[in-house]
Amino acid sequence: MREAAAIIGVGQTVYRKRHADKNTAELVREAVLAALGDAGLGLDAVGLVVGGVAPDALAGINHLDMTSVARPGIPYFRVNTGGATGSSAVLAALSWIAAGRCKVALVVAVERMGHAVTAQRIFNSIFDPIYEKDISLSTISMVALRATMLMQRYGYTMEQWAGLAARNASVSHLNDTIDEPRTFTAADVLRSRVLAWPIHSLEACPTSEGACAVVIAAASAVGERRAAWIHAARGLSDTYAMGDRISRPEGSLVDLVTLQRSGAQAYRDAGITDPLAAFDAVEIQAPFASSEAMAYMALGLCRPEDGPAFVDLAIEGRAGIAINPSGGPQAVNPVSATALVRIAECAQQVRGTAGRRQLDGIRRAIATGQGGATQFSTAVIVAQDKP
Amino acid sequence: MTAGPHPVHVHGAAVSMSWADRTKSLTDLIFDGVTAALADAGIAMDRVESVVLAAHDLIDGRSLSSMVTSPAAGAYLRDEIRLADDGLAALSLGAARIAAGEAEYSVVAAWGRASEGDPVAASRAAMDPFLVQPLGLGEIDVSAFRCTRWLATYPDRAGDRAASRRQRTARAGRNPRAHGGAHPLPYPLTDEDGPAWADIVAAAIIGRPPAPVRIAGIGHGTDLPSVGERDLLGMPALRAAAEAASAEAAIRIDALDLYEIDGMTLADEALALEALGLCAPGAGFATYAEADRVNRSGGSAAGWCYPAMGLVRFCEAFRQAGGRAGTAQHPAPVRTALATGSAPIGGQTQTAVILDAR
Repeated sequence: MREAAAIIGVGQTVYRKRHADKNTAELVREAVLAALGDAGLGLDAVGLVVGGVAPDALAGINHLDMTSVARPGIPYFRVNTGGATGSSAVLAALSWIAAGRCKVALVVAVERMGHAVTAQRIFNSIFDPIYEKDISLSTISMVALRATMLMQRYGYTMEQWAGLAARNASVSHLNDTIDEPRTFTAADVLRSRVLAWPIHSLEACPTSEGACAVVIAAASAVGERRAAWIHAARGLSDTYAMGDRISRPEGSLVDLVTLQRSGAQAYRDAGITDPLAAFDAVEIQAPFASSEAMAYMALGLCRPEDGPAFVDLAIEGRAGIAINPSGGPQAVNPVSATALVRIAECAQQVRGTAGRRQLDGIRRAIATGQGGATQFSTAVIVAQDKP
Repeated sequence: MTAGPHPVHVHGAAVSMSWADRTKSLTDLIFDGVTAALADAGIAMDRVESVVLAAHDLIDGRSLSSMVTSPAAGAYLRDEIRLADDGLAALSLGAARIAAGEAEYSVVAAWGRASEGDPVAASRAAMDPFLVQPLGLGEIDVSAFRCTRWLATYPDRAGDRAASRRQRTARAGRNPRAHGGAHPLPYPLTDEDGPAWADIVAAAIIGRPPAPVRIAGIGHGTDLPSVGERDLLGMPALRAAAEAASAEAAIRIDALDLYEIDGMTLADEALALEALGLCAPGAGFATYAEADRVNRSGGSAAGWCYPAMGLVRFCEAFRQAGGRAGTAQHPAPVRTALATGSAPIGGQTQTAVILDAR
């Protein structure tokens, strides 16, 4: 067996629309020192730093990471898989540790999207320059297409998206890493501006800046530290073209095949057959409420045809699993870091270090990552017990 | 997931260079490059479980460029990670995945299309926005600073540069994969010192099953971010990377049969020889001219575009080690080789890989 690994330190800055008072290196320093302090280690123990920075254009500076994340004398590389950047960076660090190349790795992701004049103009540039860019497609209109497909195929309603968004906002008030948690009801969501039908502005994630750092150690370096043991970490990529995914043998666009398969592989690795019974908590990287509903099905928390009923249970807090105890990415979504935040939050819950948002009895949790046109997916399972 | 670490072997490689080919989109170039590497390895894509890429948004001309490009490299319902880093760093991560037992085979691919992206402008955007960007400085200027530092340190050896330019141009001329054009260079660099700008795709197929060439050592080095604080001649990141690879391979750096050194210009390549201890201080250009086992490919004179270059150097070293470098092949047997990869700015991070065909 390859050596097990665990998360032994987590550090996060506060997330807010714009950190006007700190440069990127200062944000990174704050998160890294907190993570190392949590792990009880110094930088001299770190054998690899993996940086996570998604589109350079969001910050307006190329290779933002080289002056803020890379550390002289320590091997370094940078991952960019869009919204999945943070979790892909964790997968890279785990490969490094499993290959025996280091005992302790530091994963750092940082987002400065508040410096973009308009994030959606940048996100428009992710689409095909010939066929799509000129019709002003954005991440919001991309999500809207999937939401309408979910409504047509399974009978979801806008009231359900609004209910999920309001529930996440309510939960986020316990999360002290969020500078200004929002308060709104489902009715408020439905009254808010339509960004791209059926997506309302209050169910969309806000522009968010901040940094997250996680210390991962091989089992032999964990010692007596409080650990979130990694039981599985899987990722999968898909074709970009959404049209090719609408109806194909592997599954439809809203079946989210990459998350379905990443999850299934992770379940096999961790020996899980009934995910709803196996997990106490889930952190889903879904910046929109409709995307969150799509992930429930892909993770096997419900059957596709039972999806709308499961959403109702989730809204009422009776789904049988703690969903997004942090408030999730609809509360704050620092794009480069958001998938790492999901893993960090799961680690905090199983380590019992989540502060005011700590829930009782969280022994095993799963974090998802999602990037590109819902084409990059990751699934990471953490637990109190060593595998 | 199974036990690790496993030995990692190189099964195939391909490098394609072109310029503004209007019949091919970027994804066409990537697909062709990866297909050629698979053919070189004699391995079908259905046996590949892992894809590791190196590509940069600002070179590819779109944000999150791997959305569109990664499927062309084989990342269709496969485990894939894209680094915004040099191609040799991607090779290192791919090798870690193999060594960890996470995949039997991995595609590693890197590309840059200089005819569409603008590496010079992109590198300027990586400079400090308040203190450096207004001066218009970029990657190529750091190379010029390095050369200036050397000229100031060894003024009596300035004449060495001419011979090394001639040799490098001749080597690039013998490389059947070479391609590219010129770009204005800052003082003291001349046209013959510069990179030949090209549209480049490099791809390698690495795996656990035995093959004649194995990866014997990998090392990484990281320098200070501020160019002004760095030892531009000592290149500590490069030295650290090579020393780590050498220690892992248990082969002295100066005992290797061949060196493929990544640098944007001749100055970066030649002065790396001094930093690596392959010649006396001040003798970098002279050694570059005389040593026919250094950059047989012609280095950046045979084609250059970030972030493909470390993987290009690796592919060239692999071909030399297999006796398949064509007209660029070294006449003596190449059993061991070093490839290096340099990332912005001015090689702040470096990767070194030692190949062993013994």
